[in-house]
Amino acid sequence: MTGRHRSGGHRVAVTGIGVKSPAGTDLEAAWTTVLKGRPTAATVGRLPEAGLPVHFACLVPEFDLDAYLTHRESRQIDRSTRLLLCAAADAVEDAALPPGTAPDRAGVQIGTGIGGLPSMEEVTLSHADRPRDMPVHTVPRTMANSPATRLAMRYGFRGPCTTYSSACASGTTAVGEAARKIRYGDLDLALAGGTDSAVTTVVMGAFARMRAMSVRNEDPAAASRPFDTDRDGFVMAEGAAVLVLERWDLARARGARIYGEVAGYAENCDAAHVVAPVEDGSVAGRCMRQALADAGLSPADIGHINAHGTSTVLNDRAEARAIDRCFHGQSPPVTAVKGVTGHLIGGSGALEAALALLCAARGSVPAIANLATSPEADLVDLVIGAPRAIAPAPVLSNSFGFGGQNACLVLTPEGAADRPAPPASPRS
Amino acid sequence: MPTREELALLVRTTISDVLGTGTEEVREQTSLSADHDIDSLELMEIGARLERSLQVRIEVEDLTAAQTVGQAIDLLAARAGERS
Repeated sequence: MTGRHRSGGHRVAVTGIGVKSPAGTDLEAAWTTVLKGRPTAATVGRLPEAGLPVHFACLVPEFDLDAYLTHRESRQIDRSTRLLLCAAADAVEDAALPPGTAPDRAGVQIGTGIGGLPSMEEVTLSHADRPRDMPVHTVPRTMANSPATRLAMRYGFRGPCTTYSSACASGTTAVGEAARKIRYGDLDLALAGGTDSAVTTVVMGAFARMRAMSVRNEDPAAASRPFDTDRDGFVMAEGAAVLVLERWDLARARGARIYGEVAGYAENCDAAHVVAPVEDGSVAGRCMRQALADAGLSPADIGHINAHGTSTVLNDRAEARAIDRCFHGQSPPVTAVKGVTGHLIGGSGALEAALALLCAARGSVPAIANLATSPEADLVDLVIGAPRAIAPAPVLSNSFGFGGQNACLVLTPEGAADRPAPPASPRS
Repeated sequence: MPTREELALLVRTTISDVLGTGTEEVREQTSLSADHDIDSLELMEIGARLERSLQVRIEVEDLTAAQTVGQAIDLLAARAGERS
């Protein structure tokens, strides 16, 4: 394989991954939790205490923050930024970046759907009646680009530092746009990912008012059930994930361990309804096709799909129709990890890109947690009950967000691009 | 009006809280810029907290004028003295 993408630009290698997610605070732990289908949703005391209709969420388990951040740094930033910095530190260590990375050729590309609203909520609640006393760091803590710029500061990366906000697709947008910046020569290296931490009473209350969230308070572990007949909404989660992306030839030259390639990316917008997806999946289906075309692949080349799969009827039904359209009725196996992780909003696309690439490389597609029967089973090949073994092959990872934002990545595990296309997977 | 000793404790505690260090690391001869590489926002935060605690107005020039923690305490003692 050469260092050139079919577009004529550079190929993009994934050389490091770090995650701080409800499913685990390192990649292997998250992978295991997802593969075993263990849901992470649990009651969060402050939610019922506030009288909210939703009592639960998926939180990142406690880990040693002091191993990553000084108290001084930690107190200046919010939880979303903390989680991102910790995930990034793991990713950078995982990539074993050599010293001497040219600062102007390295950048930061981060997605966040909710940004600094949770910390602005906190300071509003604590200082509404005495605004002149609010902390001096309020603006730098709450500004939407705080996570990305803190990351750039930490590593001294002086190339483009961009914050993307495409709602629940933000993490996928960030990874895709980072890959484009490397492909077209703007960067040699990018820290790309997403973060959000918004399990607050105001943000949760706002989502609950839309009736977008599950209210299965008596059984949180069964609440996130993508594509299942009995789903009743999504489950809010927090977390961050970061991928180290490098120009393929440079990564090869330095002997980096390469997980795989960001081979294709596309984004578009429904431009129809501010939150509901286009019901027939036509626009999202086109986004998937464009991502495949960007990677130079046909539907038959895709080994499995990581669906956005939020566990809302509107998303899951439209997504199933979109997949059916893109794959002409020949769906590869479809999984949806939000049954385990919940919905990390801006963090989800990056976490799922990392997990999807690992699943594709290891040839194992997780079963969708809590999925028993599905009205969409006639459209798509949902993985039910037990993980599905597949040949290592490219994976399509979908993210769709409020505002009609659609973003799709094609990730090819290392070595799979050299193999012949896998045979069509039998339906189980 | 607080004694200089009380003022010193308040200033050292405030600074160490903002910098996330122990109070023992903030001594009279400590230079916040040379020893702790303090940035302007941290300095403003320290000033804002001391304004609240002491109920005195602290000018930005006061914050930047002091070379050491001890000088800052002396400056504050003078300001508090002007007020009383």
